[in-house]
Amino acid sequence: MSNEDREVILSIKNVDITFHTGHKKKVEAVKNANFDIYKGETFALVGESGSGKTTLGRAIMRINPCSAGEILFEGKRISGKISRADDRNVVRNIQMIFQDPAASLNERATIDYCVSEGLYNFHLYKNEQDRIAKVDKALTDVGLLPEHKSRYPHEFSGGQRQRVGIARALIMDPKFIVADEPISALDVSIRAQVLNLMNKLKTEKNLTYLFIAHDLSVVRFIADRIAVIHHGEIVEIAESETLFEYPIHPYTIALLSTVPMPDPIVEKNRKHIVYDPSQLDQSGEQREMRELRPGHFVYCTSKEFADYEEKISKLEKERNG
Amino acid sequence: MEENIVKNGKDPFGFASFDKYESEHIAAPQYSYWKSVWRTFVKNKFTLAVAILMLVLVLFALIQPSFSKYDPLIAPNVNNESMRFIKPCAEHIFGTDNVGNEVFDVVWAGAKNSIIISFVCSFINMLIGVTVGAIWGFSKKMDKWMIEVYNVVSNVPFLLLAMILSYVLGASMGTLIFVMCVTEWIFVAYFIRTQVMIIRDREYNLASKCLGTSTWTMIKNNILPYLISVIMTYVARMIPSLISYEVFLSYMGLGLGVTKASLGRMISIYTSYMNGYPHLFWIPVIVLALLSISLYIVGQRLADAADPRTHM
Repeated sequence: MSNEDREVILSIKNVDITFHTGHKKKVEAVKNANFDIYKGETFALVGESGSGKTTLGRAIMRINPCSAGEILFEGKRISGKISRADDRNVVRNIQMIFQDPAASLNERATIDYCVSEGLYNFHLYKNEQDRIAKVDKALTDVGLLPEHKSRYPHEFSGGQRQRVGIARALIMDPKFIVADEPISALDVSIRAQVLNLMNKLKTEKNLTYLFIAHDLSVVRFIADRIAVIHHGEIVEIAESETLFEYPIHPYTIALLSTVPMPDPIVEKNRKHIVYDPSQLDQSGEQREMRELRPGHFVYCTSKEFADYEEKISKLEKERNG
Repeated sequence: MEENIVKNGKDPFGFASFDKYESEHIAAPQYSYWKSVWRTFVKNKFTLAVAILMLVLVLFALIQPSFSKYDPLIAPNVNNESMRFIKPCAEHIFGTDNVGNEVFDVVWAGAKNSIIISFVCSFINMLIGVTVGAIWGFSKKMDKWMIEVYNVVSNVPFLLLAMILSYVLGASMGTLIFVMCVTEWIFVAYFIRTQVMIIRDREYNLASKCLGTSTWTMIKNNILPYLISVIMTYVARMIPSLISYEVFLSYMGLGLGVTKASLGRMISIYTSYMNGYPHLFWIPVIVLALLSISLYIVGQRLADAADPRTHM
């Protein structure tokens, strides 16, 4: 599948996000991030804790400011200072599903208010009846009952609360959803439910997801394309199957080697690969995103690129006989 | 006949199906917040008894003086020796005092003024304090200079300020209310600011921001509902403390003038008769204590009932 003729909905261009923690001290949470998200796909961002995945997601939501570069949504810049109308437009079209359903719902508001908060802010309803109808529909869509409206979040289970979080985002009829580890706070038995729900809604409402996760098996299940992020640098982007079959960046290889297998024999023989950044090219050349195969990008220097090229050709030869 | 029953799906001997949604319809009745607050509040019999006691005391204090027409400047029995220092009996419920006035009338007239002053002051303090505190806690820019204002104002000695103001403005109810509000609100604001800062950065506020909620709506719907119980606790502590403040200032001679009845002035006058006629001292003190304690307990229980997590 060629990516050129697909419509880009969100593109991240050379984005740096830096936090200043006191005088002359700073944390570079995201460094030189570059990628495009196409309309209708699920783009996953994976990496270890503290690698900057959430920060990047929040930059798209305009919660964290970018210190360099820009974020474009449907060709329009949404990072930095933008007009009020543009800001409203971003809020309307980009919504977020939060990680912790217990923390992200207002405990003192009814589900009715939690779900219709966005409707109130943009006055997206004709009259009270219309609002109630919309809330009822949103709740039914995510598998809750309209009767639950008058309850408070603490009366719900984790999975139900996350459904409320999803309903709240969906009622705005967004085009793009940033799902910030939406299932990591949930019970394993509930995870599949929520993932299937997200997939169902995606096809029904023609949504695009940025799915932030650290669980690779989940990502493999849900994502069309995957970006691997390490210490704020996006090291590799590829289609899910390509990434799992031909991981090329040493960090990606190390990360994939940690995925547990539900097979004791395989699990016993699994070799853990420890990522060692010193194997990388130390010449000091500025790294950039290079396209190794169509749609398969690696963040590397030109010397590393040549190495990777050699490796991947060898791998392809081996696998294809 | 039989065929008809089966056709309609009403086979009397068939298996009843289980509909999960149907059961939820029954299990999830509509719920009203204030009704539940009330239900939780009255569930405890002790709370109910204290609330009734408080209501009786407050209403009695507010209504009785307009019947007794007690005025501290008029002492009709001042020249009647036999009317002075009567111990509590059937005819004189609380007895009489050094100038032959009914202690019963004096106590309620004093309690009325104390209650009015403490309620008005709490209301003003809370109104200004909560509004300023909510914005103060939210705005980092405002915090920088407000904290300096707080440092200056909170270091002004209260008694000194009260003395100067009551000398300059003259002792009256208005002055007393002014004295008890002029600096007190900043403590409320500071308290609320700290509470708001704790809640401000919670994730659900971020979620509201992502939904395009304005700061004001966020304060109103996300922050203040959490603070209802803390605010109520604060009020429950503040009203009794303001009553004792009033009593204290009046005792010091800085409160209400001689023209107004006041529990504080009463206690200060009656203290000198404590050895011979202890009832003169103890009756107003007990009324004051009952009033303070019942207000405090009712406030506390209301604060607990305001938390929706206690409703189930």
